[in-house]
Amino acid sequence: MKLLSNKYLLFLIRIILGFIFIYAGAEKISNPESFALSISNYKLIPAAALNICAITLPWIELVAGLLLLLGILVKENSSIILFFLSLFTIAIIISLFRGLNIECGCFGKGNQIGLLKLGENSLMIIGSLLLVFFGSDFFKLTDKN
Amino acid sequence: MRVSLIRIFWIILVSILISFVYNHFNPNGLNLIREERVLIWEDSSALDNSEKDSLLIEKNFSSNTGELTHNEMNQSFDQPKAIKIDFAYKLFKQNVKFIDARSVEEFAEGHIKGAVSIPFYGSEEYQSVLNQISKDEYLVTYCDGDDCDLSILLGDELFQKGYKRVYVFYGGWQDWLKNNYPVEK
Repeated sequence: MKLLSNKYLLFLIRIILGFIFIYAGAEKISNPESFALSISNYKLIPAAALNICAITLPWIELVAGLLLLLGILVKENSSIILFFLSLFTIAIIISLFRGLNIECGCFGKGNQIGLLKLGENSLMIIGSLLLVFFGSDFFKLTDKN
Repeated sequence: MRVSLIRIFWIILVSILISFVYNHFNPNGLNLIREERVLIWEDSSALDNSEKDSLLIEKNFSSNTGELTHNEMNQSFDQPKAIKIDFAYKLFKQNVKFIDARSVEEFAEGHIKGAVSIPFYGSEEYQSVLNQISKDEYLVTYCDGDDCDLSILLGDELFQKGYKRVYVFYGGWQDWLKNNYPVEK
């Protein structure tokens, strides 16, 4: 327990998750159409709602990642990240069960969904869970939390 | 300190607002609502003009062998074309390949004679089926009836994969049954 709530470990997780989400968000923002197609490949969201998701999701990722990196509202932002990670992971699991062999749409092109992706996501989920529970006050921009 | 749901709400709300503003000014921005797929009808099929139908068929296929004529080999569509039962049956008689986009179970219960099963919501195992189909071949996708969109979705998917001569049979299995055209189980 003590090891898990180590402030340096939490700080490291915060920085890594922050960068990952900033990158993931920015990449999708740069090419919304390709992200919309990626979502449509999952065949989980009605066509009419695809664009709304493709427009808003990346910005939520980017903002949450940025705030996390800066140490602003760490618990809240890691909750957001935890929520979306869980959502993506469920979508990937459903697709794997359906036998879909599709691009993940996680970080631009060249990411197939698969067990590796599930592993990555599980690690990030654990990381964000830790942040939700313990927060990370180390080296943050504001004192408010 | 506990997690504040109100703050989460605000973070998400602000992000969404930024996203809409950015999208509005982004030249590559998307429409808020993805446009519904508009079907382009095969002219003759929409007009229900049987004379024109047969002309087109003759133009597309050499009537005796059912094979593509030389001219036709170079012609491909801009997008999958929708067709109705009459035209579909003519294509059927020309031995054009029919693709059933419904589920495997529905396919097993009965399908258009000679049709291949490629369930749109199925696994990607059908890739092996696709590998045996030449990209120059004429294909007809169908699903249950007028209301289903699996045939359109599959048609689009095949088109993206490089099959440039895809017809979407509007009316599908139900129309086929009504007309007592050949089926098999």
